[in-house]
Amino acid sequence: MCFIMYLILFCFVLGLVAVASNPSPYFAALGLVVVAGMGCGVLVGHGGPFLSLVLFLIYLGGMLVVFAYSAALAAEPYPEAWGSWPVVVHMVVYMVGVVLAFVVFGGVWYESSWVSVDELGEFSVFRGDAGGVALMYSSGGWMLIISGWVLLLTLFVVLELTRGLSRGALRAV
Amino acid sequence: MTPSHFAFTSAFMLGLTGLALHRYHLLSALLCLEGMMLSLFIALSLWTLQLDSTCFSASPMLLLAFSACEASAGLALLVATARTHGTDHLQSLNLLQC
Repeated sequence: MCFIMYLILFCFVLGLVAVASNPSPYFAALGLVVVAGMGCGVLVGHGGPFLSLVLFLIYLGGMLVVFAYSAALAAEPYPEAWGSWPVVVHMVVYMVGVVLAFVVFGGVWYESSWVSVDELGEFSVFRGDAGGVALMYSSGGWMLIISGWVLLLTLFVVLELTRGLSRGALRAV
Repeated sequence: MTPSHFAFTSAFMLGLTGLALHRYHLLSALLCLEGMMLSLFIALSLWTLQLDSTCFSASPMLLLAFSACEASAGLALLVATARTHGTDHLQSLNLLQC
């Protein structure tokens, strides 16, 4: 369990190194899918399956799908994958930076086992994170209304930005 | 620093560096921004779960909602850029010449 958590956290950082080294956006979106999957694994291992499910559905299934087909706007005949030279240089520099940061900041951590807090409690079907999200509907009702309003506003922002050449916000002058 | 805290902190810093040093495509900068938002989501969720403060677990959901707004605005700007400039190459965004 502990080894799996270490592996998942390492793949989390490695996937984000693969995104931050700026390959062609096809491959960066693939790296982001891997990072989101590893993030879901981290949350499940800490006892939060509802937040992990929300991440999978909304982030991977909603936002990254939109990014994936918007990657068609970045089409080029020879896309730079992780094997091409500038991307490899960036990846090596970022990995060296992460290792150095771990040497500097992670020095005191020498315990090599941790148990999820969830495992020490009693058996219950009712998970804490699902109950906490339900608070968004009772005490946090105003926040729910405000975020719904912001989402509606974003819809109109997007419609206004992509309206077209003649009357839109951006013009080809 | 505990390993999980180090993981999402370094993920955030890496996404920030990738956003600052983007090379060719606007979309790769937007993807680095999404990586930063993902590391913030993991950070808030781990705060909730490790400290047993389950009242706080509404905040990653709200972060995700606002991050969706930001991603859609960024993608609309990308589409508008591709319409007016032809590509999303950052070299073609040269109106501000300093």
